[in-house]
Formats: sequence, structure tokens, C-alpha cells
Amino acid sequence: MILTRSEEDMASGKHGPGLEKCMHILIKFGEAMGAERLVPISSAHTIPREPPDLLMEMTEGVGQTGTFTTLHAFMSAFDPQLWERMGISEEYAAKEIPVLKQRIEIYRRLGFYETYTCLPMLVGNLPRRGDFISWIGSCAQLFVNSLLAARTNRDGAVLNLAAAITGRAPYRGLFLDENRLGQVVVELEGVDPHGITYTDLGAIGYYVGSRAQQRNIVVNGLARELDISYLLALMAPLPASGSVSICHVVGCTPEAPTLERALGNQEPAEIIRVDKKAIAETKELHALSSNDTVEMCILGCPHCTIQEIRNIATRLSGKKLRPGRRLWIGSAYQTYYLAQTMGYSRTIEEAGGVVTSSCMATIPDSPIPDDVGTLVTNSFKAAHYISRLTKGRVKVAVMEMPDCIDAVSA
Amino acid sequence: MKIKGRIVNEGNAAGQAVVLDVPFSFIGDFDPNTGKITILNHPMFGESIAGKILVCPSGKGGTIAPFVAYEAMKKGNAPAAILCREADPILCESALAIDVPMLDSFDEDLFQMVKTGQAVSIENGEVSVEEQA
Repeated sequence: MILTRSEEDMASGKHGPGLEKCMHILIKFGEAMGAERLVPISSAHTIPREPPDLLMEMTEGVGQTGTFTTLHAFMSAFDPQLWERMGISEEYAAKEIPVLKQRIEIYRRLGFYETYTCLPMLVGNLPRRGDFISWIGSCAQLFVNSLLAARTNRDGAVLNLAAAITGRAPYRGLFLDENRLGQVVVELEGVDPHGITYTDLGAIGYYVGSRAQQRNIVVNGLARELDISYLLALMAPLPASGSVSICHVVGCTPEAPTLERALGNQEPAEIIRVDKKAIAETKELHALSSNDTVEMCILGCPHCTIQEIRNIATRLSGKKLRPGRRLWIGSAYQTYYLAQTMGYSRTIEEAGGVVTSSCMATIPDSPIPDDVGTLVTNSFKAAHYISRLTKGRVKVAVMEMPDCIDAVSA
Repeated sequence: MKIKGRIVNEGNAAGQAVVLDVPFSFIGDFDPNTGKITILNHPMFGESIAGKILVCPSGKGGTIAPFVAYEAMKKGNAPAAILCREADPILCESALAIDVPMLDSFDEDLFQMVKTGQAVSIENGEVSVEEQA
């Protein structure tokens, strides 16, 4: 691999063992994956779930991160301040808190920005089109590649951390123009683009992900006016049921002004047709039965935008959670402060809900309280992971947000 | 019997082979606390890969898989080496995180040459497989 002078210095240990280790990982990985060089990255987004020993090894002797680095949502639903109100067990908290403290000490020393969200672009980490970046989180990767046309690979957590600390990433994969083109076209058939709902879009994403697998997709036939949260609803399930990295939306996303451009004027490898029947059948996978009692509602996967928080607060206004019911809402701290200023969080909290910056897909170990047997969400991604991670103990149904709220409140 | 592969991460190791016929991830398919394979309804379910030579077609998804591999290493439950047909990014990172030898792109079909339980040693990019007794 061809290295610059400063990269060589980092690799040789001149700047300490942490940078040496990180460079070693980047070089070895790059060579194995056919990258000829490293490139500077304009931002990183890393996952606060490092084994503390590894984080210490990779940051030993390092003064600050090598690029602007934000942190992903607290992995797992565990929130260090709110866990008791969320009904998460003391045993779980006792395990998490000391490790969290060790990590936070290092984050503060190196200047990691404690954003704790899966939507860092909404809270200040806003790369420009064409920027090379290293972001973690299958959704954050997909969103930033698709919605902003900045370029991240689907890096794993260790390469990503090495990239954040050195400010470099191997030049490969989705950094290259030719690997960003659409390969599979998604055509909506008989679906009114102006009457499409939030969970319709989630169902389309869930259906398409399992068929597209790892290929880049181009969705044709959606309306330009779709709100950002609706585009996120479409995209979030794609890396859950499949492992899609890029979802171009014709007329909506920067690399897809037209279908032809998104495909690089080539024929698609496949056309996936989605009709009303496919949407209905996908919704059946996570439907409520008439005899189910809903004990919990989870919203905010991906994290709620301020508009979504407003809509939730409006729906909850004048209501209370029914006895024994729970409501978790995932959103970035920064959004929470705005919701507090505007009075929305008060409405939600007075009704008995909790707004947290943790992960509402509850990855990786799903601390859903023991008294919950059935929960509702508006997110197919959350439904996918929670039902798997709880190994069938918890039934998860997907419904529109207002129906979710009504299922647990009165 | 010797086969040659491409070195993804160098190093020497020896141990018993554990051969998986499906792509492997340290998250979901593996318990770092026991070193055992946790793929439901798979014949290798419950088999430990701790200190063994893991042989698999490739890796797959799961961005925090390299962290799980590291946790397993700290508990003495990580494999001693990884051999695969084609190194995918996440499995490659996992091997680098725990710094165990990893090889791919062999000159012969790995799955014809290596069976579970055989003694395997890796030295300078060459894999020696002991003839079955």
C-alpha cells in the first residue's frame, strides 16, 4: 500500500502505540480488500460499544480523534439516566454502568462528540456530497450514502474506530463512483405515491431488502414531497431484511436525478415490482391478533425527528398511559432539548412515556422488561430485531404511530 | 497434505479444524462467553471454536462482530486462526482485531481438504492438514 509521509509516521509508532495499532488494522485490511491507498475522511461516526480494553489499546497515546467524530446511539435500549423509569432490570444496569464510565472517560479525553444517535446528520455531523467518511450503523451508513451522497463503506466497528482515530480510510468499495450505481430497480405498481403511509414505506423497505440482498437499489415512483422521516422509514428496514448499502430514490436523492443516471445508463440486473398485495402480505408478518394485549409501545427506530416528536405529543395530549403500559421513544439528546423547549417532552412524560437517546431496535441484547409479552411499533426494523433478539418471548406488531399510541393510552 | 493460500493476516498457529459450511459471524452465530457456535438447527451447534482453526466459506454482516471477537479473545474463547474461501470485510476485521492468522483464496478447494477434527497447522502462509488416522 502506498502511504504518505504522515501515514508512515503513524504506522511506525512515531506517534504512539494507539495510532500504530490503528494504522496496522487499516493497512492490513486495505491490502486484503484491494485498496492501494488510504484517503483522509471528513468525518466519522462510531459505536459506543467498544470492549474497554480494545478502546484503550487503540487510543493509547492519542491526544484527539483524527477527524470530527460523533457517537452512535447507546447500543441496546439501556439509558444510563432513564433505565429505572424504562423498567430495565438492576442486574442489567449493574453490568453496563461501569463499562460505560470507562468509555466516556476516553471519549471526553479524545473529543468524541457525545451525540448518541443513529441520525448524526440531524445533529451537526453533516458531510457534503462526495465526501469520504467512515460511519457505523447499518442505517446511518445507508442514509448518508443515499440521502446526502457522502461516501461510506459498510465498515465494521473496529475498522471504523481505527478510521476515526487516524482520520484515514482505505480507498475502496463505495468510495468509487462505479460501485455506487443502482443495480436493482424497485417499481411501485398500483400504489398511489401521494396516499402512501409511514408503515407502507416500511413494509416496502422490508420486502425489498430481503430480495435485493447486498445490491444497490433505485426506487422509482415516489413523490418528491416525501418528508425526510418517510424516506427514513423506507430505508431503515433495507439493511435488516437484507444488507443494502445504497437506496437511490428517483427525483429525491442526489445521485438519482433520473432513473437512467442512477443506473449509470445500464440495464438493471433485476426489477423488483411492489404492489398493494406485497405490502399487505409484508404487514401480515408483524400484525396484531384480536386477542393480543399490548403492554408496550416503541417509537423512534430510526430516532424521531422533532416533527415526529411533535406528532406523538399531539396524539398523547390529554391522555395517560393505561396502568402497567410502557412507552419508549428514541430520539437524539439535541432533539430532546428542542422538544423540552417547545413543551412536547413534557406532554409525553406527563402521560408516562420516556424519551431516550438509546437504540430502539434494542440491539444487541434487547433488555425489554420481563412483564412485556406484546409490543407495538411503527418500525419494521425494530420489529425485525426485537422479535429475534427476544427469541419469541415478545410478540412485535407494526402499526401507524397514532394506532401505536392509542394501543397503550387512554 | 499442504495447501497454499493468500495471507490476509500473518502468523503461525496450530489446532483442530472446525469446518462450517455457511458464512459465519461472531455476532449471532457465536457465544463469546463459551466459544461455542450458536447457529440454530445447524449440525455444528454447540461446537466450540475456542483455540481451534475456524474454516468457513466467508463472513457476513454484523458491524459489531469484531468487538465480539475481541471479547471472546479476552476470555480465551477466540479461534486460533481463520481459513476461508473469500475474506469479507467484517471477518477480516475480526481477525485483525484479535490478531490471529487468516488466509483465503486457496489453490485447492478448502472444503475438500479439511474436515472437522483434523489437526491443522499454519506456517508462513502454508496450511498443513494431518491425514486422518
